[in-house]
Amino acid sequence: MNKTSTDLSPAEVTPGDEPLLAVDDLHVEFHTRAGTVRAVNGVSYTVGAGETLAVLGESGSGKSVTAQAIMGILDMPPAVIPHGEIRFKGTDLLKLSEEARTQVRGQRIAMIFQDALSALNPVFTVGWQISEMFRVHRGMSKSEAMKKAVELMDRVRIPAAKQRVHDYPHQFSGGMRQRIMIAMSIALDPEVLIADEPTTALDVTVQAQIMELLAELQRESQMGLILITHDLGVVADVADKIAVMYAGRIVENAPVYDIYKTPAHPYTKGLLDSIPRVDLKGQDLYAIKGLPPNLLDLPKGCSFHPRCPYRQDNCESTAPQLYEISGIRGSACHYWREVLDGERQQ
Amino acid sequence: MSNPTPPVGPGLPETQTLVPDTVTEPAKQRAGKQAKAARSASLWTDAWYDLRRRPMFIISMIIILILLIMSFWPSLFTSVDPYNARTCDLSTARQGPSPGHLFGRDNLGCDVYARTIYGARNSIVIGVFTTLITTLVGGLLGIVAGFRSGVVDTVSSRLTEIFFAIPPILGALLIAATFRGRANSIMLVIIALAVLGWPMTFRIMRAAVITAKNQDFVIAARALGAGAGRIMFRHLLPNSLAPVIVVATINLGTFIAAEAALSFLGVGVQSPDISWGLMIADARNRFLEASLPLVFPAVFLSITVLAFIMMGDAVRDALDPKLR
Amino acid sequence: MANDSSERILEVRDLVKHFPLTQGILFKKQIGAIKAVDGVSFDLNRGETLGIVGESGCGKSTLAKVLMALERPTSGSVKINGRDIAKARGGELKRMRRNIQMVMQDPYTSLNPRMTVGDIIGEPYEIHTEVAPKGDRSRRVQELLEVVGLNPDHLNRYPHQFSGGQRQRIGIARGLALQPEIIVCDEPVSALDVSIQAQVINLLERLQNEFNLAYIFIAHDLSVVRHISDRVGVMYLGKFVELGKDTEIYDRPAHPYTQALLSAVPVPDPEGREQRERIILQGDPPSPANPPSGCRFRTRCWKAQEICAQEEPLLQIRPGTGHESACHFAETHDVVHVS
Repeated sequence: MNKTSTDLSPAEVTPGDEPLLAVDDLHVEFHTRAGTVRAVNGVSYTVGAGETLAVLGESGSGKSVTAQAIMGILDMPPAVIPHGEIRFKGTDLLKLSEEARTQVRGQRIAMIFQDALSALNPVFTVGWQISEMFRVHRGMSKSEAMKKAVELMDRVRIPAAKQRVHDYPHQFSGGMRQRIMIAMSIALDPEVLIADEPTTALDVTVQAQIMELLAELQRESQMGLILITHDLGVVADVADKIAVMYAGRIVENAPVYDIYKTPAHPYTKGLLDSIPRVDLKGQDLYAIKGLPPNLLDLPKGCSFHPRCPYRQDNCESTAPQLYEISGIRGSACHYWREVLDGERQQ
Repeated sequence: MSNPTPPVGPGLPETQTLVPDTVTEPAKQRAGKQAKAARSASLWTDAWYDLRRRPMFIISMIIILILLIMSFWPSLFTSVDPYNARTCDLSTARQGPSPGHLFGRDNLGCDVYARTIYGARNSIVIGVFTTLITTLVGGLLGIVAGFRSGVVDTVSSRLTEIFFAIPPILGALLIAATFRGRANSIMLVIIALAVLGWPMTFRIMRAAVITAKNQDFVIAARALGAGAGRIMFRHLLPNSLAPVIVVATINLGTFIAAEAALSFLGVGVQSPDISWGLMIADARNRFLEASLPLVFPAVFLSITVLAFIMMGDAVRDALDPKLR
Repeated sequence: MANDSSERILEVRDLVKHFPLTQGILFKKQIGAIKAVDGVSFDLNRGETLGIVGESGCGKSTLAKVLMALERPTSGSVKINGRDIAKARGGELKRMRRNIQMVMQDPYTSLNPRMTVGDIIGEPYEIHTEVAPKGDRSRRVQELLEVVGLNPDHLNRYPHQFSGGQRQRIGIARGLALQPEIIVCDEPVSALDVSIQAQVINLLERLQNEFNLAYIFIAHDLSVVRHISDRVGVMYLGKFVELGKDTEIYDRPAHPYTQALLSAVPVPDPEGREQRERIILQGDPPSPANPPSGCRFRTRCWKAQEICAQEEPLLQIRPGTGHESACHFAETHDVVHVS
């Protein structure tokens, strides 16, 4: 199980220098009354400065748990990290003391969440909440911090920021609240920003605004951006590279253009094929059969094999490693060549 | 085409079942299986099947059964009749345990064991009936108020607030003292406690119903054309019952203790009637000299309350399919 | 009442639903109204699917509730086979409900956790006892389970023992039980995992063909709506701004809002993403309690002129376009192909 990720180590991609953030063979388990939930089983990925990595997966794929492990906001227990490293500029965050970790969290690696309404405190004004970041971490005075808060709200394009700093979260629309969350996350100029389904709760027209804002902010400050989502559409627009997760593993990683044109894992291919297309109206959509796996009891061998059209006998016994396809691509499928050669849409 | 089913390990809950996209199972095979599914399950029958396998429920039921037998046929447990004044002997007051008088004797030289056994009836009758009345009245009103909202809700909610404003013991004291002599003292205690106890259950039921009412499955039932009765009793009640059961079992103990307080104040159960509350009240004055006359009824009281709380917990869990 | 068209099974005319905003506790005074649905008209034919798209707060879910007679409309009519469900009461309403059923968004909250699957799917028969004799019900429930692709032996299980997609199938089976002609699907796949969505959409399409069902398909996912719909209505602040065949709406949108909506849909293909034309709307939709005068979209519209504030554009066929739209300056414009 440990060797799944070592094949495509980040060092081979950019020899010699350590990427901004590297997750290396991370395992996360939850010990519950019902048994051990293996949420993350050997995940490795890297993000460089100014780079956007999209982590794509369904609920239960482990994409959010990985992000929470990076942030150090997992509840431990029940969560346990039995194995793995999370290196930020070469330092393993998992080995840091809690105090040192706090210095990193929010200041150098920040995160925004799906539900902006519940992430904001309803009893304080948004200005107070944004300026708190400066007061606590930068030791600014109240008025100074407030001034910075207005600047930030301008930067995330909230109209009439000067007046609106005194408003409460419920007085803002969903899109504006997400902007406020983004303002808080970039307040301390983090080097890595993790966005966990930042637009899922929003309408399409607002989604587009938020994604554009994130892309702009990233260009300005050269942050590394980890975009966690289940939406193949959002990813295609902004990502540089994509890691597809299934049952707590990366099943495929590749630059964004490659993955859409020539998926190398049956799961990725199935997802792409199940998108409704104009020329197939009136016909059945391609559907990945079966159900997502039970994390308490993962299938033996390849976790995807019960749903896989490419399945052979050895898939049920041997878990595939992340095979290297080219220097920058990998697929955790024994038959990635067949998948790669196969036609999209059967 | 056979769909692979992931092996379900022993002891693991079957949280997901892999079902083929289109059912292609041979009809013959299924006919055999259908026989197994013949027992049609429902929440209550499933809860009953589940309860019978819970040790906590079985233990609590045994205790409750013993207590009930004790209150109906106390003579099965003791040959001494404490209502017969001749069994008391003032000269032996506050004597420790002795053969034939296992729990010792009280202030008046009566047998503590026999009195504890005979006291069970009044205490349990008061506890159980008061709980039943408050749960039924409060629960029923709570469902209606929560479901109907509007005027019904406003009026009944304001009414309960008036009751909440009355200090319970003082209120019960007032009721019991006013109607003293016009009714059986035990009935009077039940009525006094029930009048002041129902608003609590009402509030809890109402809050639970209001939460449940806005859930999609209730809207779905309305869309099917379900009437008010069906929505209240098939959908809202089972989904709002858990907190009410918990409170009811805790209240049962509170009511028995409140009976003791009223008796202590002189308006509850009256001598020569016996109840645990009365016994505790009587023994308090001389507790330092003789603790046993207080300890024994108190222990019985605790066991009773505990048994009912255990039963309530088991019932609540059994009514939640997720916990099975 | 005679049916002039045997095909048409649903006729919605000038449907309005306002939720009053009140002040005061004892003496309630109406100080305004949320105009959730504000004059919606459309028809639905047997076996047809009408997709309804729009952003949150546009009134599409309220519309679904009014169609289902879960809310009484402020005015207007909802005629099913010529009879107005909005005016029906008691026994008549109950009878009419057999003809229109719904599938809800969240498969986790839409099934009573304390009822078995058999009870959930069998409940329609208990409410409408005349549909199936008592002895026949469990057979029918098993048939329904089979129709939606679930194991008929799982009758005695509880909802939590099923996954999200399976639960949605249970909800669909419940909706089918009374053999309705119309099913209102309110975001039926948006709560499901991506790999499960396609399964449920296929199921809905198969059932439509099998039982000749008419669907009102409400969703925010424009590509799913396009896949399943014959006609599409675009809603903005309680009104339809555009209504037409799927190809008309998607390939030749005439209303600026539709164009903006379509251009905002992320395309699952990175090819040419830098060059893609994208209309980014500024700001948020105005409050439905106080919609702008004239055209409701004018506050965010790049084409807005003086006339837009004065005169409300009606939903009608505009010159140069082949379908109904509510814009003074309607002009077809192929924004992007939502694939």
